[in-house]
Amino acid sequence: MELLDNLLLGLGTAFQLKNLAFCLLGAVIGTAIGVLPGIGPIPTIALLLPFTFGLEPASAMIMLAGIFYGAQYGGSTTAILVNVPGETSSVVTCIDGHEMAKQGRAGAALAIAAISSFFAGTVATVVIALLSLPLSALALKFTAVEYFSLLVLGLIAAVVMAHGSVSKSLAMVLLGLLLGLIGVDVNSGISRMTFGVTELSDGIDFVPVAMGLFGLGEIIANLERKDERRVVSQRIRDLIPTMADMKAAFPAMLRGTAIGSILGVLPGGGAALPPFTAYAVEKKIARDPSRFGKGAIEGVAGPEAANNAGAQTSFIPLLTLGIPSNALMALMIGALMMQGIQPGPQVMAEQPVLVWGLIASMWVGNLMLLVINLPLVGVWVSMLKIPYRLLFPAIVLFCCIGTYGISNSLFNVWLMLGCAVVGYFFIKIGAEPAPLLLGLVLGPQLEENFRRAMLLADGDFSVFVRHPISAGLLAVVAILLLAMLSPAVLRKRKEAITE
Amino acid sequence: MSTRRIDWPDFLFGLFLLLVATGTLVATRKLSIGSAANMGPGYMPRVIAIAVIGFGLFFVGRGLIRAYQGIARVHLRPLFAIVLSVAVFALLAELAGLAISATVTIIAAAFATREVRPLEAVVFGVLMAALSVLLFVSALSLPVPVWPADLFG
Repeated sequence: MELLDNLLLGLGTAFQLKNLAFCLLGAVIGTAIGVLPGIGPIPTIALLLPFTFGLEPASAMIMLAGIFYGAQYGGSTTAILVNVPGETSSVVTCIDGHEMAKQGRAGAALAIAAISSFFAGTVATVVIALLSLPLSALALKFTAVEYFSLLVLGLIAAVVMAHGSVSKSLAMVLLGLLLGLIGVDVNSGISRMTFGVTELSDGIDFVPVAMGLFGLGEIIANLERKDERRVVSQRIRDLIPTMADMKAAFPAMLRGTAIGSILGVLPGGGAALPPFTAYAVEKKIARDPSRFGKGAIEGVAGPEAANNAGAQTSFIPLLTLGIPSNALMALMIGALMMQGIQPGPQVMAEQPVLVWGLIASMWVGNLMLLVINLPLVGVWVSMLKIPYRLLFPAIVLFCCIGTYGISNSLFNVWLMLGCAVVGYFFIKIGAEPAPLLLGLVLGPQLEENFRRAMLLADGDFSVFVRHPISAGLLAVVAILLLAMLSPAVLRKRKEAITE
Repeated sequence: MSTRRIDWPDFLFGLFLLLVATGTLVATRKLSIGSAANMGPGYMPRVIAIAVIGFGLFFVGRGLIRAYQGIARVHLRPLFAIVLSVAVFALLAELAGLAISATVTIIAAAFATREVRPLEAVVFGVLMAALSVLLFVSALSLPVPVWPADLFG
């Protein structure tokens, strides 16, 4: 009955008036940035991080999480009505969702998208609650040796599962690790690679790095493209789907939820991979695959359920093991550390109010999002009329102020500027920056555990294969890397990602 | 025509890695390495930097062998305008205060696109500056001066 107690504790936390307000705030901000193409949840969360200092940890995490899954809802609205993905996770929703809108069924598509997301979010909340306890109990037995191997697995798996070239992503992880080493070495007190800059002695702050690479770098690249937005101009009616629609969508919703929940837990999963997989599955098992691309309702329900389920279950490795599965979860780790909480398996036991409050708030937040998105869809659509030429200067300014706000230092603003230029360079040469952020956040932990393990083993590297759990984890790493070298798998991966 | 070579994205990425890794090795040359059992502060930076050099050489080599691949044209206007607008903020924020620096930042950024409407940009800049003072200074109590310090002595 421990589970029930925990859920009750969580619901008690989530239903505190203050936390309800933060949940709503997060959901609204999330929907807004989800609807607007060109702003993603990563810079938004990075921007708001400094202002969560003063909040209680639970309230801060509830709001930041709300932004993340709120963005999944908002992204689908834009995908259906404008045929532009508001977020990367809603790319596939464009295909059939926009087609439905063109056929005058925008209302049904929006409703199915929201209902699928809500259903998936509810199931995913239960999945998190069920999986968290046993996983963290297992992880508590870990020593520095296992933890190091787990971190390696997390980094490698995130690289392999994410899109982009594997070799480039591996190099990016290493770059991130290098950046993570900047600052005073904890063991010896000697500063490393700080170039005499006092601001760097505590280590490089990841917020300016994230905002530069993901926020500003992308703005510069976006401005090179032509901005085209054609909103489907029709009155949105029939927001309540017919029985026939529901009947057609429900099995897809179930499958999407299952796919999303599984893929979300895996490192590198998160919100991007599940919808693609779900769409491919729906198309494969459909009796008449030719309907897809012409407004098939399963093509909306499956991916939408999958992206929301994946968004939420990607919190599992974060909460139980302290390992982020993607760049966004890396920011969440940062948020925890800002609150003075060291992420790891002990968080479940030491911060029950935070963990269970967060889990319960996801369900509450999904309920709010259903209301925010369906009856109020008109409000969000009108937001799309804000031209990009006004939007991006405002984002630039907010990034500047937000970066300054982390520690009231202009050094961070300069750092962000440098990262913006590097981020633009990465976009130009087609290198994905997300692995760098993972490396940066995990770098210090990786080094600390490595050094501790080596100290205990007296410099014997074989310790990592002599501990059974660690050996198992490293075996998975080896299999993943070898699989990437095999041409057949490489081709399959390419197909899966480009589809 | 058939011998056009060099995959520029790979090649440049490789160069970038080599640059960063060399920089790391130079910056950490004085740190002690220690032994595997008792690592000094210089151990990890060197290990990682050497791995990065490996990747750098790999990409430079692969870039040279592979068939030609270009890089989409770099548009200077957005790049310069965004860099300038952030730099202006960094230079002015503590000297001239948030109100002035925010306005100038917005205006500078607005010029990143050809679609800029100068008058609109100025009005929008003033509006956004007012909004950020209200939001960040009044509501979120960010400790940044609003006006130039010597204005109020």
